[in-house]
Order: sequence, then structure tokens, then C-alpha cells
Amino acid sequence: MKKSTKAFRSPLPEGFQPKPLRIPRFSLTTFLLYLMLTSVCLIGTAQAQPAKKVTGKVLDHKGAPVPGASVIVKQSTSGVLADKDGTFNISVPANANTLVISYIGMKTQEIVIGNKTDMGNITLAEESVGLQEVVVTALGIERSAKTLTYATQKITGEQVNEVRDANFTNTLSGKVAGLTITPSANGPGGATRIVLRGNRSIQGSNNALIVVDGVAIDNSSPAGQVRYDSGGQSGSDGASNINPDDIESINVLKGAAGAALYGSRAANGVIIITTKKGKTGKINVNFNSGVTFDKALTTPSFQNSYAQGSGGTYSTLTGGSWGPKIAGQSVTNWAGNTVSLQAYPDNVKDFFRTAVSNNNSVGITAGSEKVQSYFSYSNNFINGIVPHNSLTRNTFNSRVTFNLTDRLTADAKVTYMIQGIKNKPGVGGDGMVVANVYRMPRSVDPQTLKGYKNVSVTGVETPTFWTSPDPVYMNPYWTINNTHHDENRSRVTGLLVLRYKLTDWLNIQGRVSSDSYNDFITQKYANNTVNYARQPGGYYSEGNDFISERNLDVLLTGNNQITSDFKINYNIGGSVLNRNLRHRVNAADGLGFNNKYDLSYATTLKVEANTTKRELQSVYGTAQFSFKDYLFLDLTARNDWSSTLPSPYSYFYPSVGISAIVSEMMKLPSWVSLGKIRGSLTKVGNDADPYLLGQNYTYIRGGFGGYIASSSTKAIANLKPELTQSVEVGTEWRFFNSRLGVDFTYYKTNSKNQLLNVSAPASSGYSTLNVNAGNIQNKGFELVLSGKPVTGKNFTWNLGLNYAVNTNKVISLYEGVSQLYLGSSTSVRTATPLIKEGGSYGDLYGYKWKTLNGKYVVNTNGVPVKTDEIQKLGKTIRNSQQVSVTAFLTKTGHYPCSLTVNSAV
Amino acid sequence: MFKTIKNQFFLLAIAALGLNSCTDDYNSINTDATKISTIGATEYPFQFAYALMTPTLSPDNFEVGEGTIASVYSQFFAQAAQSFPTDRYVIRQDWMPACWNPVYTAAAPQLKTIMAGTKAETSENALANIWWVWMFHRVTDYFGPIPYFNAASGNRYIAYTPQDSVYFDFFKKLDAASTVLKSHTSDKPFGTYDLIYNKNASPATAWMKFANTLRLRLALRISKVNPTLAKQQAEAAVAAGVLTDISDDAYMPKSTTTYNEYNGLAVTSGWDDIRMSAAMESVLKGYNDPRLPVYFQPAISTGTFEGVRNGLFTSEKILDINSRLFNSNMGTRWVNWVNNDWKTTYNAPQDIMHAAEAYFLRAEGALNGWSMGGTAEDFYKKGIQASMAQWGITDNAAITKYISSTATPIAPLDGMKSPAVNDYPVLFSGTESMQRKQIAQQKWLALYPDGAEGWAELRRSGLPKLYTVVHSENTDLPQGTFIRRMPFLDTEKQTNAAEVAKAVKMLSGPDNAATPLWWDKN
Repeated sequence: MKKSTKAFRSPLPEGFQPKPLRIPRFSLTTFLLYLMLTSVCLIGTAQAQPAKKVTGKVLDHKGAPVPGASVIVKQSTSGVLADKDGTFNISVPANANTLVISYIGMKTQEIVIGNKTDMGNITLAEESVGLQEVVVTALGIERSAKTLTYATQKITGEQVNEVRDANFTNTLSGKVAGLTITPSANGPGGATRIVLRGNRSIQGSNNALIVVDGVAIDNSSPAGQVRYDSGGQSGSDGASNINPDDIESINVLKGAAGAALYGSRAANGVIIITTKKGKTGKINVNFNSGVTFDKALTTPSFQNSYAQGSGGTYSTLTGGSWGPKIAGQSVTNWAGNTVSLQAYPDNVKDFFRTAVSNNNSVGITAGSEKVQSYFSYSNNFINGIVPHNSLTRNTFNSRVTFNLTDRLTADAKVTYMIQGIKNKPGVGGDGMVVANVYRMPRSVDPQTLKGYKNVSVTGVETPTFWTSPDPVYMNPYWTINNTHHDENRSRVTGLLVLRYKLTDWLNIQGRVSSDSYNDFITQKYANNTVNYARQPGGYYSEGNDFISERNLDVLLTGNNQITSDFKINYNIGGSVLNRNLRHRVNAADGLGFNNKYDLSYATTLKVEANTTKRELQSVYGTAQFSFKDYLFLDLTARNDWSSTLPSPYSYFYPSVGISAIVSEMMKLPSWVSLGKIRGSLTKVGNDADPYLLGQNYTYIRGGFGGYIASSSTKAIANLKPELTQSVEVGTEWRFFNSRLGVDFTYYKTNSKNQLLNVSAPASSGYSTLNVNAGNIQNKGFELVLSGKPVTGKNFTWNLGLNYAVNTNKVISLYEGVSQLYLGSSTSVRTATPLIKEGGSYGDLYGYKWKTLNGKYVVNTNGVPVKTDEIQKLGKTIRNSQQVSVTAFLTKTGHYPCSLTVNSAV
Repeated sequence: MFKTIKNQFFLLAIAALGLNSCTDDYNSINTDATKISTIGATEYPFQFAYALMTPTLSPDNFEVGEGTIASVYSQFFAQAAQSFPTDRYVIRQDWMPACWNPVYTAAAPQLKTIMAGTKAETSENALANIWWVWMFHRVTDYFGPIPYFNAASGNRYIAYTPQDSVYFDFFKKLDAASTVLKSHTSDKPFGTYDLIYNKNASPATAWMKFANTLRLRLALRISKVNPTLAKQQAEAAVAAGVLTDISDDAYMPKSTTTYNEYNGLAVTSGWDDIRMSAAMESVLKGYNDPRLPVYFQPAISTGTFEGVRNGLFTSEKILDINSRLFNSNMGTRWVNWVNNDWKTTYNAPQDIMHAAEAYFLRAEGALNGWSMGGTAEDFYKKGIQASMAQWGITDNAAITKYISSTATPIAPLDGMKSPAVNDYPVLFSGTESMQRKQIAQQKWLALYPDGAEGWAELRRSGLPKLYTVVHSENTDLPQGTFIRRMPFLDTEKQTNAAEVAKAVKMLSGPDNAATPLWWDKN
């Protein structure tokens, strides 16, 4: 199996003569300077030495050339890479006798030169799977997996597309230990939560950073997430816009290891996505087509014994099902017809539909030696299980790689996506579709609801309902036919990378990337829609969000063999990141002509406007020292200057990691293929949202010339950056030619100094105050077992087990604040996630029935009463402990097929 | 080659270091262009308007901060919303911040800014002080001790002040403000942003009368607990000039422009939360009161005026006789039944204070032997006349007939088969005890629909006699008792715990709904 993410690196500079280096004692703050000086010294010592020329050709076990194979002269620092035909031409010093040929994924071979100048064909055998696995780490830097000092897990493009989902992140569920995927309840296109190793930020984002081809993409939901039980439509996220068919591979950095290079947002872990690029060779066209079916997995279990009514009496004046026992008695139903009373056990379930979705895509690769290109187009048409809800997405992707000269390469990518979501269902309580459906009394025949309206002689539509009109809830068929939430998004992501090879061991890369999208969101509420169309004619609003993220960076990458045993790889970079958001909403509260959904019909026009800007400048560096290819030391450092912080805007964060390949340090039994231990310590700083520093006032439009109001949040002039500290240790072992593998990681993270918006006593004049406080701890372990019980010519069976346990603890909040409402509500109507000191993120609180000595407490009327205080009901975070098993059987040959089973608990 | 590389290095190093000095524009990047960062005289009118609008409560705040509390405890209305329990004295802590937060976090900070930024002898400063008293008297009359002197100070924790000290400061503020305005009668403080009186011929004079009427109201409130101070304050207020004509009545204008400017009470009745109480039905029908078709409208199903008792269970509310369609919603000034649904008049002005009340206050003061500038009977009649005029009833013959009527409340023929709520006639009685009842009853009618003042006066005077709630689901308030206050807020206990604990000790009993306030001596 060939990996396409092949490394293209030269381990040795040509003609380099080693010289002992004096390594200064340094603190991490002088680290960058040190790296620069080191590099300059190295350049200064470079010298050449003449010798004889030796040629040859490197082939893989199938006889295909291996371009990029490394050919070095043993006991020296001379080395070259094989060209595209696998041939090489190397200068060998007179005293040298052996060539070392290596390539990632293949067994390293040593060849005696002797007197030969043409070594002929050299065939490299396949390496046991995994040992030489290459993973893409931060900033697109490819590294051999065994050298990493932290936990990662790789997923191939095929694995992503085994079961298709409009949001590819949903397919990651169960594939990575420690990863929790929570899909949205807002139908296709809804934002998915992607959390690695538990929630560490109380009020900020806990989502892993998504990085595509080395560039972080915006995965926020500009329209926000529903935080109140009254409900609404949550926004769509950025990750769902990625076309799954363009994904070559995904690597998951579970800890904060990517932070030095990606910055603060990587503190939650990173999902690194490598997309397909063009390949040299003939034109290759790839079609993919798939159909998927979705059904409501479950609906609440309802009682079906008692009819609409109250106190045992049948009545259509109430929406509850506290009426008489259903026994076929004759009653007048809500529509005024005499019917015999019966239950409709499926009246809720039948509301939902089986949703059919189509995914089609085509990908074309082609390339010459100079230019390789990849084009793809995909079309997704996805239906939601709520009737009338659908998503259409068209993605155009183009990536061209140029080898401009031997030293200069360019990589350009443009992705254009247009997406439309129709009738996105709302989540939560007040009048949202599902809340309306669930309130259906048990004795209501859903057929009677489908004609959801009455039309007057003048054409005015009024909703019908199973009880007298409610100020909030309505006939769900009215909701899906006469209220609409539609979203349109167009998104352009562009990336241009220029790489210049300064020397064989030093590259410089400049990169500019831009990610911007426009959301156009319309809401329509027909005339007479309770709660939402408050003025005659109906309600219409147009929201427009423009989000842009522009990143400029320069990265210098080098590696040097200092002695034959001692190597160094390093990166030094700087970047400027600008992020802008422009939010506008125009709403017609009342339409001059019934249900004419256009702003020009507005009887009252309302405007909402909001613009935020922020800039982040950064300098960073990493260095990896390796000794004998079995001992590795990683050091990273980064300094950020954020516009959202008070002067001097600056914060610094370093990391250190170490790994040792035990199996190469000492002689172990031959059935041990790999033994490795690793550990790392990471500190990550994080800035906050803009505009928190100064107390300010807001102008509010109104009917009498407007108002000015002071902010109800007390500002924080001395805002400090957040700080996440993490420690991670792990070990990885592979046995029996890598047919059995085990990877174990223990970690602990503490997130402190969080920006918290805590409740203030309202009597102080502020409802909340911003403070830096808190300490949230996550600790746990991850166990990944992989096995290949059967591997034959035509048939393989792979088995994987992921097991992860995370314990989240709220160690401290803020003086005088013992709890924080995640739902941002200081009052509890139903149940709410509440953060309490000593508790954990996601604990759910609400009222219970009051009991005394195990018996219900009732009031003087015999009615059970609720508890005086809210109490812990349970947890909203499903997976503090998660297990998933993956098995796939693959049969190749004449009738290839595969079977995948993935089950997660 | 070496040189080129070295040069490139330096360029990179310079580029990297250069970032350090590129933060010059960070302050401007981090300034929110949509916000205002400095405040002065230009902004005060806008802030004052905000302070006026917010404590008169947006629809969402009104519904649960007043509509489910004072509106039903005053028995102007009974709770029609089936799932709402507050009419049965259940305390909904999750709803109560709606009566508190708008005062403390929305209005008070603006008033404090104006008070600090203007001189004490200006009319702007006087208006800020008057409005401060208006909104805080409603809060203290819900709870008793409240955070007062350090309200909106931005301190981490805020001490509570006992109710008597709060009242003493009210009198001080109103006295000072009235004195200032008396010498600034031609002022138009805050111009058109004085939403209440800007259309009045002399806004400053109208505000002065408003301040004195408020002072008179508060004086009567403490007439049992501190008769001496009450007399002194009431006489000073009357001497300085109280509201005497409906042209000086105070209304908060409401607007359809933004949701928060809608009339909260109208929205609440449009949401079908409330219906005419059986007590209102008993009195208004018994008196054949001309205000009945203004205050309420005929029930949808019956076409007649019907009321319902306070404190029913859901299982009772669904019976036709107690249901919404069979009982009277508020009058057409607030809501209209169109196409089988309530259409709300969002911009119906909100009643703040009226001359009618001033007359009833003076009538009671006169009975107390205070110097009110007239007799109790005269003020009683003028109060009724002012109230009728206020609601657009101009038929003088009918009003005269009403004032001389000996009719008494009747049995409302409601679902509970209730008897007449009391037996007070309209015609002013010869005995002082009945006179007090009549004044209280007519003031109760005239205060409609201001539930907060209605409930406060029921507690203070114990008059008029109304129905008990049918069911109480509050163990502190057994069947037959009347609700005396709201318990302190959970949100305050969570954020200001030590101060709330001290405030509990300022009460005359436990922190529950049965403990009477300082001025409540019944």
C-alpha cells in the first residue's frame, strides 16, 4: 500500500563537513535567536570535498522507480535524492565504501560500493506497515510517525468516505480515541462539535482546530449557537463545507502539540486535513456516487392511555394529555367533529420522514513534470428528516503544483463552494418544529393537522391548532409550511505557497491564504404565525454575515546532520493573521402585503449591525534534535501579539517533548517490531474576543429618537491571556511484524486564566463581569489497539479498538462565584448545564420531585412539589468513557469488496 | 551564495522583529466602531429616555416580572394561562429577575451617570432623582430591604438597605427635586427625550406635581408605621402641589418600533395570560360602572362581561366557565379579537400616575386629620370624576348618577359560585370606617391596571376586602391568607450571598412571601 503523503526530504546536505558545535545554554525566550545563530553558524561551516561519481537506480519491490529515495554515503554527510526515474548520481569521497539507500515505507538498504561507479538497480523491500509511517504535522510538515513526542492518529480518505455524511467530521466518530463528535440537531449543514480530550474552555470554543493543507480554516458559526431553552436555529460551521472526496488523509493531533505552529486555537487539538493534489502521469478521472438514507433514530416514549384534557376530563381547551382513560368513548375533537376516542401512538414518529440524499463527485488528476493539477467537483443533495428541510452543495476545487525550477516550487489552490440550506429546523422550545410535534396530545389524529390552516374569503390564512390558540406553540404542519429559515453560503478559500530550496538542507516558504465566506440567511414567518409574526402581514428578515480570515506567513525549514549520530530539524517562522466579521440583519417586522417576503414591503424596518476586527502577529520556532534516530528532543516556542489584549499585547508559550525508540536502543526479541516511549509538556496561551477592555455605551434605535445604554457587562481593562498547560506521556509497541499494535497515552491538561463572563449581582448595575479565572482539569488515557488477524493475497481483515477515558473536573471558578450557567441563563426553566466547583463540564441541573424519607412531598392539594433548589440530574457529555471497535474486511482480486463495522459506545 | 543566504536571513530576522513595532494600530483595531466610549451632556437625554423606558418593562419582563405577580395579586386580573402557577402563590424564582434587572442594570446606571454629571440644582438632576424614586419604590414594595445606596455602583457586592431608610431617602430626594423644579418652571429638561411630559405645556411643572404626588403616595404608605412622618410628608407634598387635572397625568408612551418598546401589559393580555378577576366583575357590574367596557371587553363565547377567580387549578381552568373564551380579556384599548386571535395594540400608552389617585390619597389623608386642602368627601368625588375623565367617560349625568349610587358589588356568577366581594356602596357613607373602605375601593378601581401599586395598597390598608385565592400551593401562605412580599432573588443569593443573608435579618420574619414589609401593619 503506497502512501501518497510521501516525504521529500534530504537528510543530509551535500558536501557538508561536520564540526563540533558549541551549544549555548539557553532559556526558551532566547530560543528563536539561538536557532537563527545556529543556522548561520552551520552555513558558515559548509565546505565541499571532491571525489568519484557513482550512479544507480532505486526501485520498489514491484519494480517501479522510487523518486525521492535518499542515497547517502555511510560514515559521511554526503547524500542525494533519487530523481523522478529513481536514478541518482552522487559524489563519493575516496575513503567511503558504503551507500545507504532509504525511503519512507521501505526497508533501508546498505550497498557496498567497491570499485563500481554504476550500482545498477537497487530494489528496496517493503517496510513493515506503520514503522515508517509518515504523518503530516503542524504547518504541513511531514514527519516520520516514530519520531513524534505526542499522540496522533491517522485516518485515510477512504475511511472518511466509507459512510458518507454531509459534514465529514461526523464520520470521524469512533475512529479516534479521545475524540467526541456531537452532530447538530439542526439538520444537514448544522455545526458539529469536535472535541478532543474533553472540554477545557468554559465559555470559549472547545472545538478542535481544523487545518487544511497547512492553513487553519474558520470553523466558527457566525450565526451562533442556540444557548437558551427557548431555542432557535444554530449557525452552520465551517468544517462542514469541506468536500469529503477531496480529502487525501486526516491526522489528528490530540493534544496541544500543534500550538507552537498554529497558535492558540490549536490548544484544543488539531484535525489536520491533507487534500488531494495532482500527480505526474496520465489523466486519471475518478467518479464517486452514493445514496444515503436517514431516519429518526428514536422518539420519546409517550403514554398512550390518556386523552387530551386535564384532571381526568376530556377537553380540547388544553394541550396536555391528562384527560380520561382512552376507551373509544365519543367526544368532539378539536376540529369540531364527533369521533370515538383513540390513541395515536405514532403521531409524533410519523411526522418525520426517511430522508434520501445523493452525493456525486468527480475528481481529475493530471500532470507533467513541471505542472501537476487536481480538479474536483462535487454535488451533494441532502434531505433532512424534518419534511421540507434540505441542503444543496456544489464544491469546485482546483489545485495546481508547479515545479518552476529545481529550487522553486509553487502550490496554488482555490476552492469555491456554494451551499444552500432550505427550511433549517429550529432546536429548543418556543414554537420550534420538534417542540411543536412533541406536544401533540396522544389522542390527536395527525391527519386532522395536515390541513394546518383556515383560509378566509379574502384569502387570509390562520393556523389551526389542537387547542385554543397558544401564544407560543403551533400546529407543526404550519411550522414546516409557513415558517422558513433558509441559508445560502458562498465560500472561497485560496492558498498560494512558494517554496524555495536555499540549499539541500534549508528551505524557505512564503505563503498567503485567504478564507472568506458570505452567509445570507432569510427568515420568513407567515402572517398569523404565533409568537414570531407579531405585526400584521408577517415577518421577514435578511441576515448577512461576512467572515474573512487572511494569513501571511514565512517559514524557514532546515535540517542538519551535525555528527553522524546527531541531527537537527528546525523551523522558524512569522505570521500575520487578520480576522474580520461583518454582521448585518435587516428585518421587516410587519409586511404591508400579507406574506410578501421582501424588505420593500416592510411596515417597520429593523436593523442590526456589528463589525469586529482582530489581528494576531506571531513569531515561532521549533527544533527537533535527534540522536542516532532513536532519541528525539522537540522544543517549540511561540510569541503572539494580539490586538484584543491590552498593551503590550504579547504572550509567550513554549513546549518540550521527548521520545525514545526503545526497540532501536537495545536488542529486543525479533517479534517486537517497535517499542517507543514519549512524553511532552506544553503551555499554550490564548487571547480573547475583541472589545472587552473598555466600558462602553450602545445606541439603541427606538420610536422616540433612540436611547443610549451602558453595557451591562463590566469590562476587564487588565485582560490576561488564557493559559493551558498540558502534560502527556505515552508508549507505543508493535509486535509480529506490526500485525499487532498497542498505543497508550496518559494526559493531563489544566486551563487557567480563562476569560469568564460571570454573573454579577444585578444590584451592582452589571449583570455580568468579565474576569480572568478558573481552572478546568482534564485527565485521562487513550488506548489504541490495532490488529491484522488475517492478511492474505486476496483478503485482509483489519481490526481496531479505541478506548478512551476522560475525567473533567472544575477545580476553581472565581471568588464569590461557585457556579456558572453554560446556557447563559441565570434562571432554570427546564434543565440547564451548570458548571460548579468540584463538578465537571456538562453536568446537567434541574428540579426534581421533592422527597422526604423516600416519599414524595405533596402540597395541601395532594400535588407533588418540586425541590427547592435545582439538583444534579446527570451529564450532557455523553462520552467521558468511550469505546469503539472498527473491523474491516477487504477482498481484492476479481470481485473486490469490503465490509466495515464501526461501533462506538 | 553564502552572502545571499545570510542576507535572506537578516531580512527574515528583521521581518520577524519588525512585527514587534507593528502593533501601533492595535488600539484602533480593538475599538468597536459601533459603540460609544465617552458620555456627556449630549448623551444624557438618550440615557434618560432609556431609564424611563426600561423599568416600565419590555413585554418579556412585564409578563413574568409584573403580569404574573402584581397584576394578579392586585386582583385586577386572574391568571388565565393554564401552566402558570403564581396565582396560586407559587414563587417562580426564574421569573422574578424580570422585575429587578431592568431597574438595576438598565435604568439605574444611566440615572447615576446623569446625577453625577449634572449639578444638583438643575432640572435634569431633579428628573433623574424623581424617576429613581419611582422605580425603586416599586422594587422595595415587592421585597422590603433592597440594595439601594450602592445600587449600580459597580462594586463586587452590594449591601441591602432596610426599607425605612430607603423610604426616608425617597422623601429627601422628592423634596429636593420638587424644590428645584419649582424655580425652573420654564425648563424643558432633556427636551423630547423626556418621554413622559415633553408634550406638556410646562414639563418642569408637571414633573414637580408628579414628584409631589409620588411623595403623597409614599406618605400614605407609611401612615400606619410612622404616622408623624407620614403627616408631615403628605402635608408638604400637598402644599407644594400635586396632580389635580388629567392633563398632567403621567403615561409612558409605547412604540411599535422595537419589541422592547411594546406595551408589556397589552402584550401579556394578547398572549392570553390574564382575564378579568371575579373581584373586578363583582364591583364593576354591581356598580354598573361606566369603566367596565373600557377596562374589559365581552368574553368571546358569551358576549358578556365575565370574570374568574384567582388561584384556580389547570383542571378548573379548562372548564368552560373558567376558560379564556368564556371570560373577559382587557379592553379594546389593549387588545382586539380579529380572525380568531388577539391583535395587540403594541403602542397603547402605559399608565404611570394619575390625578385620580392624588384625590383618593388626599381623601384618606383628610380622614386622618391631615391638612389636605379639602374634605374627604370632596376629594372622593373628584377622584371618581378624574378617573372617569381619564378613561374618556364624559357623560356627566351618568357620572353624577354613579357617585350617588347606593348599589353594591354583586355575586359574579363565576365557576366557584362566589358571593359579592364586599358590600361597599359608591355613595359616600356617613361613617368613617365605611368611608375608608369606599375610598380604598374607588382608589383600587382607579389604579387599574397598575398592579404594583394596586397590590401594595391592598397590603398596606387591607382594603378593599377582596376574595382569597381559591387554592394556595405555597405552604407559607395557608388558604385564606394574603401574599405579603416576594422572597429575595435566587440570583442575588448566588452572587451577593453575604449581603442577602444580612438583609434577611432586616425582615420582621423569615424570607418568605408571608412576612409583612416594614410599612405593612395589618
